[in-house]
Amino acid sequence: MAYLDLLHLEKSFGPNHVVKDFNLRIEQGEFVSLLGPSGCGKTTVLRMVAGFETPNTGKILISGTDMVGSRPNQRNIGMVFQSYALFPNLTVAQNVGFGLSVAGKKRSQIAERVAEMLDLIGLADLGARFPFQLSGGQQQRVALARALAVRPKVLLLDEPLSALDAKIRLTLRREIRAIQQRLGITTIFVTHDQEEALSISDRVVVMNNGLADQIGTPFEIYNHPTTRFVAEFVGTLNTFEVTVTDPDVGAVMLGTTPLVLNRTIAAQKGAKVTLAMRPEAASLGRFGNMTLIGRIADVQFLGSIIRIRADIGAHQLTLDTFNRSDMPPPAIGSETPISLPTSSLVVLVK
Amino acid sequence: MNWLGLVPFAIFSLLFLLLPTFNIVLGAFRTQQGAATLDNVMNLAQPRIAIAFWVSIKLSFASALIGCLLGFILATTVALGGLPRWLRQSTLTFSGVASNFAGVPLSFAFIATLGRVGILTIVIREVFGINLYGLGFNLLSFWGLVLVYLYFQIPLMILIITPALDGLRREWREAAEILGATGFQYWRRVALPILWPPTLGTMALLFANSFGAIATAVALTGSQLSIAPIVLFNQIRGDVLQDPQLGYAIAFGMIVITGITNLIYIVMRVRSERWLK
Amino acid sequence: MKSARLWSYLIFLTGVMYFIIPLIGMFEFSLRKRRGEYSFDAYTSVLTDAQFQQTFLYSLLMALVAIVFGILLVVPTAYWVRLRLPKMRPVVEFVTLLPLVIPPVVIAFGYIRLFNTSSVLPFLGSQFGTDVLLSCGYVVLALPYMYRAVDTGLRAIDILTLTEAAQGLGANWPAIIFRVIFPNVLVAVLSGAFLTFAIVIGEYVISALLDRPAFGPYLVWIGSNKAYEPSALAVMTFAVTWGCMALIQVVTRFSKHTRTSI
Repeated sequence: MAYLDLLHLEKSFGPNHVVKDFNLRIEQGEFVSLLGPSGCGKTTVLRMVAGFETPNTGKILISGTDMVGSRPNQRNIGMVFQSYALFPNLTVAQNVGFGLSVAGKKRSQIAERVAEMLDLIGLADLGARFPFQLSGGQQQRVALARALAVRPKVLLLDEPLSALDAKIRLTLRREIRAIQQRLGITTIFVTHDQEEALSISDRVVVMNNGLADQIGTPFEIYNHPTTRFVAEFVGTLNTFEVTVTDPDVGAVMLGTTPLVLNRTIAAQKGAKVTLAMRPEAASLGRFGNMTLIGRIADVQFLGSIIRIRADIGAHQLTLDTFNRSDMPPPAIGSETPISLPTSSLVVLVK
Repeated sequence: MNWLGLVPFAIFSLLFLLLPTFNIVLGAFRTQQGAATLDNVMNLAQPRIAIAFWVSIKLSFASALIGCLLGFILATTVALGGLPRWLRQSTLTFSGVASNFAGVPLSFAFIATLGRVGILTIVIREVFGINLYGLGFNLLSFWGLVLVYLYFQIPLMILIITPALDGLRREWREAAEILGATGFQYWRRVALPILWPPTLGTMALLFANSFGAIATAVALTGSQLSIAPIVLFNQIRGDVLQDPQLGYAIAFGMIVITGITNLIYIVMRVRSERWLK
Repeated sequence: MKSARLWSYLIFLTGVMYFIIPLIGMFEFSLRKRRGEYSFDAYTSVLTDAQFQQTFLYSLLMALVAIVFGILLVVPTAYWVRLRLPKMRPVVEFVTLLPLVIPPVVIAFGYIRLFNTSSVLPFLGSQFGTDVLLSCGYVVLALPYMYRAVDTGLRAIDILTLTEAAQGLGANWPAIIFRVIFPNVLVAVLSGAFLTFAIVIGEYVISALLDRPAFGPYLVWIGSNKAYEPSALAVMTFAVTWGCMALIQVVTRFSKHTRTSI
């Protein structure tokens, strides 16, 4: 039994079936992200865990106890909102101490815990300020401290970084992860930003249309997507429609170019499947077991990485190479051999 | 050159707003011969005037307080009570009408309803066997006047406080709830403190609103009621106080009181806007 | 949850009763003039009363003058302050809010003292002068509402760009204000105008103190001399107020509609 179990959750709003048979088991201290486009149901899952929405069917177990039916204020869960949701009439210290205060804790106890929390988020001097006197990043840190002050069993983060500037988003992301690991608190993080989800999480749940498409570590999600949606939503992806000529050895036709993957494909001969490949998997030059000739269409200099677009017949391929000072990028219009390691070509049947 | 654009407005407001008021304020500190004096203002303390001011203040305070309270309850019910959306829009529209339906016609409506031969008085007597006037109720009394004033005070409160209620964000409630607060704790520690400044500010506005009101009271009681604006009104018409300078002092006193209440309103508005930025 | 909603409806209905019953009361009362049956006699009596016609027309005229005068004063001022004198905005706003602080009876008192026959500006020396003074008083009463409405309207449009575009096309100042700015804040101006009308039409204090035959003093007079006619008049006034507010809603909605369709 896991620490937090979400079993067969279903939720409909009127005719909209927003969450469909959602299952997720989270271990104690784990950081799990729900990743997906807006409207995929990720926020609804989070709100069901918090108790703001009641699932139509299914169970939410925290260390074995079913939470469905209990009110949010009885669940002992911490939550951070996208819009900070700090109480504007209370100081930073009063905000952080709110949960302890409504629980009837002693003043001295509250003060001690508040000081500890403000220290944790690095805002020890700002306890007397009001929220409107803080920057967005500071407000969100206070919101985090407020959620953690009551020592919740589970921490829920609902797009906490979306309202912030790009730079603060990066630092706060690292900070959230560091605090989470230090406290060892079980955390669910909702985001639509795939880079955010991959960089911060132990595991990622990619959601689409109310379904969990894939659950896995960032490494698995990125390198071995199991559905086309996951592959396309996470990272940049090259996809090629190919026709299977021999499923047993993995022979396919890309336009008029034959390719052999040397492994079986779970499809009939003559079926159309999709080959997917990350830009960094391909490389310029003849290295691997499979080389194609491409005509360089575009070169984008991105600093440490150079992104190249090449035409292979009627298909387009995007590939990333590291920038090396001793190797200038190929000229546009030149014909160059491009190596595709067959192991990095993912076959997506559906 | 830019200043030229303000000249028409400056002349108009000087001539028809600032100078007339200034003239009154100045008069309050002058004898009839034009010498400086504090006697006029001191004379406000004479029982007849002081009582009129006191009744005015009580009347305005009672109607503002009750209007504020009931308006708040109604606005909260309409905004957060789970009523259908069209009810809310119609309430706001009706409030716009009712807050402007003051003065003489309003008192007619109440006389026709709760006067000695008003329909409600008759219905209550015939159907329930209760004689309102026999029980001491009188529309032409202090509380009768409060009842009438509420007809424009409550809608004004609804109009001003509804945006503040809309400003209460759902996340605040949810954040409080998930931190363990009950609904009551949320209202006491978060919602009410946030709504307090705009409520107090609106109450000051309601106070000033009824303090200057005169037509409703005149139409109801025939200018016999001794409240500050009516005393001043009668003084202007016929110098009933036998002291023309006292009129200036009364007017000055009224400006001071409405000025203070408006100051409260402005301070409170600034405070609540600062929070909800 | 269910019982909470029940309470909501209960509170709401109580409120509705308080606001509806006086309206029913005045309507019922206005029909009682003929003994033993309901009739519109009170309305006929009022409408055929020459004094009603005179005072109503007089107040109507005063209201229209006040509206036109108010627009001519407020629109250019609010425009100019936004365009060229933003530093003066708090001052101008403060002045426009003063009529909410100074009770009308005090303003009227000031007029009587300042503009009497022996003063430098003897407005009160002639009937025409008094009428002008009365309409100016009405402009003052409506100033807080008018200014706020127009200022809000101006905030919604980019007056600087509009002005520069008009200047670039060779327009002079009157043309800019009346042909470019004015049409763009028409809705705000109309809202202010209807509000002015609702305030002015039954106004009592200033017209009574300046001793002009306006509708407000007539209402008070008839209230103490007739039984059923006052209710009939109250019904009509309520209808007028309602009409003004409805017109504000209509123009606002109409403008929203045209804006989205552009």
